[in-house]
Amino acid sequence: MRKNIILLIARHFWTSIFKSKILYTLFGVIIILLFYAAYSGVSYHDQNHFRTEHQEMARQSWEANPDKHPHRMAHFGTFAFRIKYPLSIFDFGIESYTGNAIFLEAHKQNMVNFSDAGFSTGLLRFGELSMGMVLQLILPLIIFFIGYSAIVSDRENGTLKILITQGARWKEILFGRSLGLFAIAFFFVLPFFIITVILLLLEGATTADVWIRLSILTLLYVAFSFVLSFITITVSTNSRSSKSALIKLLGLWLVLVVLLPRTSQALGTYFHPAPTKLEFKALIEEQVLAHGDSHDPNDPYFNHLKDSVLKAHNVASVTALPFNYGGFVMAEGERISAEIYKEQHNQLLQNYRQQNELTRWLALINPYLALKNLSMALCGTDFESYVQFQNQAEDYRYKLAQKMNRLQMDYIAADVSSSEGKKNVVDRNEWKSFADFEHDFMSVGGTLESEAVALISLLLWLALSYFAIIYTSQKAKAI
Amino acid sequence: MYRLMFIQFIRTKTCQLGIALALILGIISIMTGKQFLEDQKKATSQVVEKQEAHIQRNLDLHKDDLGLLLYYLKFSVVNQRDPLAALSIGQSDLNPGIQSVSILTLEGQKHDTDLVNPVKLLFGNLDLSFVFIYVFPLLIITFTYNLRSEEEESGTWKIVSTMSQSTTHFLLKKLLVRISIIILLLFILYLAASIVLGISISINSALFITIAILYQLFWFSLCFCIVTLRRNSNFNAVTLLSCWIVLTIILPSIVNNLVTVNYPVPEALTTMIKQRDGYHEKWDTDKRATLEKFYSSYPQLEKFGYPTDDGFNWHWYYAMQHLGDVESRVESASMENKMIERASVSSSWAQFIPSMHTQMSFNEIAGTNLQNHMSFLKEISRFHEETRLYFYPKIFSEASTETVQWEKFKPAYFQYTHSVNWLMELGPLVVVSLLFSCLAFFFIRKNQGV
Repeated sequence: MRKNIILLIARHFWTSIFKSKILYTLFGVIIILLFYAAYSGVSYHDQNHFRTEHQEMARQSWEANPDKHPHRMAHFGTFAFRIKYPLSIFDFGIESYTGNAIFLEAHKQNMVNFSDAGFSTGLLRFGELSMGMVLQLILPLIIFFIGYSAIVSDRENGTLKILITQGARWKEILFGRSLGLFAIAFFFVLPFFIITVILLLLEGATTADVWIRLSILTLLYVAFSFVLSFITITVSTNSRSSKSALIKLLGLWLVLVVLLPRTSQALGTYFHPAPTKLEFKALIEEQVLAHGDSHDPNDPYFNHLKDSVLKAHNVASVTALPFNYGGFVMAEGERISAEIYKEQHNQLLQNYRQQNELTRWLALINPYLALKNLSMALCGTDFESYVQFQNQAEDYRYKLAQKMNRLQMDYIAADVSSSEGKKNVVDRNEWKSFADFEHDFMSVGGTLESEAVALISLLLWLALSYFAIIYTSQKAKAI
Repeated sequence: MYRLMFIQFIRTKTCQLGIALALILGIISIMTGKQFLEDQKKATSQVVEKQEAHIQRNLDLHKDDLGLLLYYLKFSVVNQRDPLAALSIGQSDLNPGIQSVSILTLEGQKHDTDLVNPVKLLFGNLDLSFVFIYVFPLLIITFTYNLRSEEEESGTWKIVSTMSQSTTHFLLKKLLVRISIIILLLFILYLAASIVLGISISINSALFITIAILYQLFWFSLCFCIVTLRRNSNFNAVTLLSCWIVLTIILPSIVNNLVTVNYPVPEALTTMIKQRDGYHEKWDTDKRATLEKFYSSYPQLEKFGYPTDDGFNWHWYYAMQHLGDVESRVESASMENKMIERASVSSSWAQFIPSMHTQMSFNEIAGTNLQNHMSFLKEISRFHEETRLYFYPKIFSEASTETVQWEKFKPAYFQYTHSVNWLMELGPLVVVSLLFSCLAFFFIRKNQGV
């Protein structure tokens, strides 16, 4: 292969495409969509301010509590509001379907409520226009529209023969055209990342983590365009007419982008049914009760616990203990119920992961899905990011409940059983000293690890599309 | 002539492949619907026994204190959905069909979401409405994009124009063959679905299928309009697929973003905090003032007096709980208004976008839209108040738990009723189909033939 010939052919393809008006129309449409998507992304992300404001409001309300019995504070509880990651402006992922706020209180694991989908009129199910979505969904079509006839129409009108007789080799022609098409695709991709960088700078979201993620994201989208360009040229070369090339490519797009993902997700869900909320809650309640009911005065588990505590401290009744026994029992109950909840919740999440498994593995044959999964994950808007939020909120809830139980054990007299009134209280400074909830995002390493299948798939597709061109060039015919 | 055209078309690979694809996806969609109904049935049957067991268990534990018992007891309200919901799952996979509430502050309970896999929500349900709204138009496009151009490109157009009296009639006949195949396919899938899912014949199901047919006719009119432009197959394919993307993906998602950005619902978060504060702060404020405020909501209960001396009593406790709802009422109402606004903005845009209109009509008929859920929430509020007002006098008069007929506390059922406005449902689709048909005939007239 002669490098200068390849470049010549690529440049020639580029200029010939730029001569047509269609390209400018397409580019115009894409730019309009880009601006609208960017505007939406920023506005979506701006909703963070509602969440931080409410996080502050909840915090103020928490700190404003007077001296109180700590168990009252355990029930007063607080809230965790989910904050969007800066890169969520680029790809909305599953964020509109996940809850945004959760009430954290003792004894009880609440649902994360108020997802955008819950407020939606059903329109959301058509999809959302984000910058990522435009590149994942529309860019392939644009590459197909521009490139479907790249080789086949030259064969149809006979120019291919001339090109070959002039001394160009098949490999050079195919690589040249592929690279030319890729360059045009890159021309479409570039503005998206320029806009994203500008927006991130404007938002002041300039941590190293964001830039690392964005760089990887850029590389992935570029790789995706590369794969698409090479596939387009392969299909164009192997088709007998430009019409057949176009229909093949459009069919490919429909299957990979529209039909396969939804079908595989539907099948995954069908084969791994998840429990209903009623079942889930009832199961936890049963297991907690089976372990021991702290409210039941005759419960064997808690009676045994009481006996052993009394024995250890060598006293006859709980009122003679050096700490408040009510606090102790609640701490024990909290520990048991939290463990059971955690186990059941992990099982539920595992169930959901199984439902998603088919779609995730399908990424191996579907580069669109590979890119989509990676893009969500890097933008912090995927399933695992949400799971992390839920886990952090639950950890915080547990710590809060146990802190209040500890305070009750340490500061409330042993013979006090009521939490009402101003008598048996703990100093309000204790509330302030318990730090507010803060949501940490996943590390890049962890993110990439959980999306290893998708990453491998894209690499395989890169290799595959390269070899497809080489293979095609050996078999291609000029007539 | 029709018979030959029919046989000729049925023999093409495009037709066979297209029908096979539609049937496979149709079967998956019916399976999805079946699973949806079964989940719902399972939950509805569980709720009866679970509630009975739940009441009994707590009754055993807190026999002597009705006030304490009702702190624990939860009562379920079930949103009973038409089997049609399985054809157009809409929002019902997300909004819970069963909500269990205790007589404590309602705002903290009624918006509790269901357990769902968010990734499943992202990819969407493959229900029959998806097959009708997305897949059928694709089929129509593949069946018609080269209606005319295939004859020209294969060289048979000249024969056609000399052999037949009118090329327009010839094309219309070809179109009619395709229309009848699509409509037949639609009926077959609908019939299979209604047998498997147990959908009865009703006004609603008639409306559902009428909308489905009109939507397909809209696509036929659009495709025919493009065909009459007399361009080549490639142009038609690209144009029609672009129309499909614009109508089923881009425009709806643009409107969706518009609604989300312009009508954010921070009130939801405020309500959450306010109802908590409204209740909890009362632990530290004057008990008598709390009770007075409570009695101003329910003067008929004032006869139970003001046991405000030191210590805990249930009058005060339930008064506090109720005030949580009272003090978040403004935010709660404004949240509801936001949702109404969102719904009305969406449906006014939908009138101009057939795919959106069809989906929203399907959801409305199936009772799986936002409005259905909002009526359900209203019903929960009503049920909550009724239950509270039943128990308040008993708790305040320290009645024994035996005075309550617990077996009467079965889950409550809610059925959404909506009046069908045929004109509003069918009008937009008829108008837009006629528009494209007229446009097509305008092109034919202009070019004096096809």
